[in-house]
Amino acid sequence: MTATWRKVRTLFATQFAEMTEFRAEIVIWMLSGTLSLVMMLVWMAQAGAAPGGQIGGYSPAEFATYFLSTWLISQLMVVWVSWELDLDIRQGTLSPKLLRPLDPLWMWYASHLAERVVRFPLLLGLVALFAWLAGARFTTDPTAYLAALGLAFLGFCARFLWEYTIGLLAFWTESSTSFQEVVWLVYAALGGMFAPLAFYPEWVQRVAVWTPFPYMLGLPAQLLAGKATLGDAGRGALVLTAWLVVFWSLRLLVWRRGLRKYGAVGA
Amino acid sequence: MTRYLRLIRIFTGATLAAQLEYRANFVGAVLASLGEVGVALLGIAVLFGQPGTTSVGGWSFHEALLVVGLFTLTEGFISVFIQPNLSKIAEAVRTGSMDFTLLKPIDAQFGVSTRYMNVLRVTDLLIGLGLTIYAASHLTVTPLGVLGAAALYVSALVIVYCIWLVLSTTAFWFVKTQNVTELFNGVFGAARFPVTAFPLPVRAFLTFVVPVAFITTVPAQALTGELTPALALASPLVAAAFFVGARLFWLRAVGSYTSASS
Repeated sequence: MTATWRKVRTLFATQFAEMTEFRAEIVIWMLSGTLSLVMMLVWMAQAGAAPGGQIGGYSPAEFATYFLSTWLISQLMVVWVSWELDLDIRQGTLSPKLLRPLDPLWMWYASHLAERVVRFPLLLGLVALFAWLAGARFTTDPTAYLAALGLAFLGFCARFLWEYTIGLLAFWTESSTSFQEVVWLVYAALGGMFAPLAFYPEWVQRVAVWTPFPYMLGLPAQLLAGKATLGDAGRGALVLTAWLVVFWSLRLLVWRRGLRKYGAVGA
Repeated sequence: MTRYLRLIRIFTGATLAAQLEYRANFVGAVLASLGEVGVALLGIAVLFGQPGTTSVGGWSFHEALLVVGLFTLTEGFISVFIQPNLSKIAEAVRTGSMDFTLLKPIDAQFGVSTRYMNVLRVTDLLIGLGLTIYAASHLTVTPLGVLGAAALYVSALVIVYCIWLVLSTTAFWFVKTQNVTELFNGVFGAARFPVTAFPLPVRAFLTFVVPVAFITTVPAQALTGELTPALALASPLVAAAFFVGARLFWLRAVGSYTSASS
């Protein structure tokens, strides 16, 4: 137990030290993920121009709240592990990592978590600024924040695992990072980055409830906006946990097969 | 001049030969192109999917589609011609291989801007062109409008190139610039929509501070015949000013360059 704990601590401490060096880059990365912000501005203008000053029951201020919340949550869910895996597998730099007495997954997982710790305060500052500029108003219920953070954490784990699995495809194909772009599109669409899920056609909504996406992005955002209940959050957490199991087994399967292939070609 | 044209032909041949060796990458490039156009299309599809919505910022569905087409075309232009070249400036400054470029008996800016090409992303250009033509076929377009749009779109491409060049040229001082161009991509994402779809202060920002409006909205307006003469005149002027500015900035950067090896 203490050995594991020591591993965890060392891993986290080194990754945290590395990430604090990247703080300027982290701000730039945050500002380059603008899709929710662009959608927010367009919807706000649409609602402002609409008769009655609202669309689908959302006033401009409510659109601002929803999209800023999605932006905040999506920022907590940024994962770049498939790029790293792609590079490591192609360049062969994965080999030294395999020699460590630890699945390399945990190193990247720790690095992503450490980055979140550096990112979070900067993120809160930016959200506060944007909220003030756009007139967004968030819920005052502290349990909603806890539930949203919990869902965001589960969502992050799910996204990390599926991106990891896609990254492992680099064992077989050279275009693994392009698969990731297409999966990102599905995540953004069904997660509710273009509009609240209720704005989508009926059949899309019926499909979406079976996927993990609405529960990792749209639902926490609705919690922060005060438009979802804790019961919704609980149901979402269950679905996400089920998907986590699926993604974990999938990644284990792909990892084992991939390693065999890597061993056959490489070292 | 003919020498430069010949060089472009040689560069293109070399880069084509190098890229066609990796045929599997083609699948990936097609997937990535589909992803990018998907984001733009979904954005307007959901907007127009709302009951009672017939226009966004005063633009009908097919007019907005025109903007998406031009946006995809521009993204293709960036990933085929601009990004493969200019993103290498930082690397060249860091390793000192910029020395070789500067020593060659051709203009160095021409050298860094035309050497490579990402042929695989030609799919973006095709999808963008297809969308633009499809959208235009549902609108009343005059030959004069097409000519005007083409001319204004050339200005747009010059503007995009100049912004990229300036951002990448900062590598002479800051070495790492990958992130700065990411920042431009973030703002450029707003060009998926006509500028009139944004609230007034943002519209001003997208026209005067980062001239995203000139890249997709203005050529689209020319095509639909809704362009005001002032904007039609402003676009080439802005492009010319950007070009001169970028050129001066480049010369200044090269002047201050002390090779990594000395």
